[in-house]
Amino acid sequence: MVINWKEQMLTDKDAILACQSGNTEAFRHLVEKYKTRAYYSALLLTKNSEDALDLSQDAFFRAFRSLNRFDTSKNFYTWFYKILRNLCINHIHRREKIVQMVHDDDGADAFDRLEHEDKNPEEIFEENERSQMLWAGLNKLKETDREIILLKEFDDMSYQEIADALGIPVGSVMSRLFYARKRLLKEVESLNEL
Amino acid sequence: MNYNKLTCEDAQVLIMGLIDGELTSEQQESLKKHIDSCSSCREQYELFSKLKEETLNMKLKPLPEMYWDEYWTHVYNKIERRAGWIFISIGLILIVSFGFYEFVKDFLMNSTQPLILRAGVSVLGIGIIITGISVLREKLMVRKKDKYRSILR
Repeated sequence: MVINWKEQMLTDKDAILACQSGNTEAFRHLVEKYKTRAYYSALLLTKNSEDALDLSQDAFFRAFRSLNRFDTSKNFYTWFYKILRNLCINHIHRREKIVQMVHDDDGADAFDRLEHEDKNPEEIFEENERSQMLWAGLNKLKETDREIILLKEFDDMSYQEIADALGIPVGSVMSRLFYARKRLLKEVESLNEL
Repeated sequence: MNYNKLTCEDAQVLIMGLIDGELTSEQQESLKKHIDSCSSCREQYELFSKLKEETLNMKLKPLPEMYWDEYWTHVYNKIERRAGWIFISIGLILIVSFGFYEFVKDFLMNSTQPLILRAGVSVLGIGIIITGISVLREKLMVRKKDKYRSILR
């Protein structure tokens, strides 16, 4: 079966089934469809555009490698997001260890530089004072709060998709979002007071 | 949750569903009734709606077009190279197996060669294999257990 990803309106399921029967080109349909979401999800997690580009491409490669095990009745992106998320989390942990090493070995200057790169909002958002304040507030939240807000607001996932991506019951999504947003409001309020 | 008589605590959680468009019509109706009659929850609704609007207005910085143009090529290269490595590995396994077979047939099973030499080569080979496996296992175990392995030294 020869599939031209540009000309055909493939469903994800068609593309995955084609990939599972050995058609690599069909995977392009999935990459083209989800590359923007994947890149921005990785960017919001890693806060670095080069890392985000590299990790999102690597996640697609790994997804392709595991595609034979994918259950086509499930949502592709939420499955893919788990791969991407794991890659990003591992990358962040590696980076944190390196930052800690630099801090131990080279003193505070290098540490501050790396820390600043890590929190640089200009790399992620268009310049806007309010956006930067919200970003600063988001960065003060614990990872679980931050991630659920990012999935809802920037990835535009439904509650069902968030539940699948995070492996939590769909009934918990609303309450988790409530507490996360409440804490974000508190952080933004305290930043406003500064 | 009793939707006919919502508590403020339940209403505030349901506000998330309202601003995210995730409530059923029954939930929406009950929540709106509660918000109309409760100033504290109305205030919360306004605060959360404003936050939602502001986060939606945060514009993510676009990536230069050239990165998008090359995106698939990078993913494809990774896929293609993996296939290359698989073929290289299979090829190497076949060549090494053939070499080993020929070695056993022409040297170890060859009675014209002195027995002591054949025994010596066999023992040497076994020693190298045991050492190789041991080093490999150690590397793998250390890699698995070493929590500092990802630190650049």
